[in-house]
Amino acid sequence: MSGAVAQTGVPVQSHVQGRRSSLTRSRIRAAWLFIAPSLIILALIAGWPLARTIWFSFTDADLNSLSDYEFIGFENYLANYDGEWLGLLTDPDWWHSVWNTVWFTLVSVSIETVLGIIVALILNAAFPGRGIMRAIILIPWAIPTVVSARMWNWMLHDQFGVINDMLLRLGLIAAPITWTANPDTALWTVVMVDVWKTTPFMALLILAALQMLPSDIYEAAKVDGVHPVRVFFRVTLPLIKPALLVAIIFRALDALRVFDLIYVLTSNAKDTASMSVYARQQLVDFQEVGLGSAASTLIFLIIALLTVMTLAAGRVRLGEDPR
Amino acid sequence: MADVVLKNVQKSFGKAKVIYGVDLDIRDGEFVVFVGPSGCGKSTLLRLIAGLEDITAGDLSIGGERVNDLAPAKRGIAMVFQSYALYPHMNVYDNMAFGLELAKSSRAEIDRKVREAARLLQIEALLDRKPRQLSGGQRQRVAIGRAIVRDPKVFLFDEPLSNLDAALRVQTRIEIAKLHTDTRATMIYVTHDQVEAMTLADRIVVLNAGRVEQVGSPLELYHRPANLFVAGFIGSPQMNFIECRVAGVGPDEVLVSLPGGGSVSVPVLPHGVATGESITLGIRPDHVRISPEGALTGRVELVEELGENHLLYVDAGQGRRLTVREPGDARHEVGGTVSLDLAREFCHLFKSTGEALPSRVGTTNPAPSSPDLASRAA
Repeated sequence: MSGAVAQTGVPVQSHVQGRRSSLTRSRIRAAWLFIAPSLIILALIAGWPLARTIWFSFTDADLNSLSDYEFIGFENYLANYDGEWLGLLTDPDWWHSVWNTVWFTLVSVSIETVLGIIVALILNAAFPGRGIMRAIILIPWAIPTVVSARMWNWMLHDQFGVINDMLLRLGLIAAPITWTANPDTALWTVVMVDVWKTTPFMALLILAALQMLPSDIYEAAKVDGVHPVRVFFRVTLPLIKPALLVAIIFRALDALRVFDLIYVLTSNAKDTASMSVYARQQLVDFQEVGLGSAASTLIFLIIALLTVMTLAAGRVRLGEDPR
Repeated sequence: MADVVLKNVQKSFGKAKVIYGVDLDIRDGEFVVFVGPSGCGKSTLLRLIAGLEDITAGDLSIGGERVNDLAPAKRGIAMVFQSYALYPHMNVYDNMAFGLELAKSSRAEIDRKVREAARLLQIEALLDRKPRQLSGGQRQRVAIGRAIVRDPKVFLFDEPLSNLDAALRVQTRIEIAKLHTDTRATMIYVTHDQVEAMTLADRIVVLNAGRVEQVGSPLELYHRPANLFVAGFIGSPQMNFIECRVAGVGPDEVLVSLPGGGSVSVPVLPHGVATGESITLGIRPDHVRISPEGALTGRVELVEELGENHLLYVDAGQGRRLTVREPGDARHEVGGTVSLDLAREFCHLFKSTGEALPSRVGTTNPAPSSPDLASRAA
């Protein structure tokens, strides 16, 4: 699509000449023709549901009778009845789920980034069996989340789980831990499983960035006698920064929408509910389409806001040559 | 003292041997050029000296100290890479300063060195720029600057000019020569370009397939190539080679019969060749003359006009093609027949092993100025 953008930029120049040449006009026509299908599909599969969700958030729609609703303005978000504030923005459960989600995102993405860099650096070195290692490491990422969450659920089971068994045998714990039910450990458990699952993805993106780096500058650094640790922080890290930020944004967007992992591991527990789990609960369990849509709309806004902030902070322009 | 001494240096990658026992004695302050076709091992040899590759066998010493097991940074060398190898995210100043920061030099000391090198290379105005904002020639200067600030005992250059355009290559070549005169540092320079080798070197090392073919001054190599490979590699256009037979052997000359029926008496020491033996005669295009009664005749296949001189490619029968360089504009047309004369004192003879027969005249070179006046055999 960037080509099309470039094409539509042409008229700015042609204003100088008065009017567009017929060649420019036919190029712009062709560009629109080529991007039209993707624009239409995007509008249908992304634009329409989004618009509908935002619309529902301003209504009192109910899952039982979706066609029968009234426009109620911002009341799903915030309303004042007889001096009492109601609505999503006053619901402590909602704010708890927002906090859970943000905490989960910050912690899991940070750990995944550090581990991903380490794994990528290891896989980038030449050693026998590197090809096989690169394939093996992707397995956690290849397993569907629901399946791996179930698997971990069993491994973490307080009575029959292999993890409690191992820790008991090693004498590290005295009694089995209810990993996913205990509020103290539940969110950390979710983070651990997420790290296990998505570190390979991080590692793969970072490995791709590492392999783009020219080898000659490392030889130059070697001749100059620069310490490898210093080379990493002063040369490697700045050079992979654009790719790293893209990977972090990808992962953060994923993490902010986290649903299946938490839903399977900890069911509907309020302590660990993420924003998506909260929205699903309103929409399906409580059948409150209006309120659920309001929550979904806020999720959309929060994610959009955080993305814009991250991009601005990293000053990354996607698709720009880092050099 | 920063002499570089290689004693039977060998290198293998796994089972593949790429350097077969190189012995070399590079004197302090000398400018030595490694030259050879691609894959001959010249870059590998340089990387062995730099310490970027491990030496499989043999000894390498720099300034009298054995450095086989020393890290590159401890060898007192600086290297300029073909691809410049600049840090893309650092500006020119930091590119030059980065390697110095860990040495115990102070900020002011680093600053002084960087600005001094920048002044020397006339890149002071570029210090704040990133490599991507520089032209190829400017990047190469920064790469050289980064080597200069290290104040090395030995400069290593790995084909530093091959990414530059022709005009810039000549200019940078002159600057490197000037750098050598100014610093008097030992320099080892790898190139596949024989013009660079001839113009820059005190001594040239010709490498082929991991072995040293000949070491000598540029003119030694040009006038007295030790073997067929060096004769063919040095000089452009390439030396002509004609398969001949030995027709007679004198005490200090060898008479060879040319394929067309003529013969030439070449003033070289026979060195064990016998009558009837097959032998290769080599002669440079400048020393083949068009004359009414030459030893060879042929048909002009192609004419290349170069302005100050021109090249004739002559088919002398049986697919033998001779190159002739004559001054001025061409006076012959494609398809015409010419008679060629070979200046006997400029002829080289190579035995079937490729080894050259030693010249009778010893160390003095044949007067290159007046081949027309030299006596000729027909």
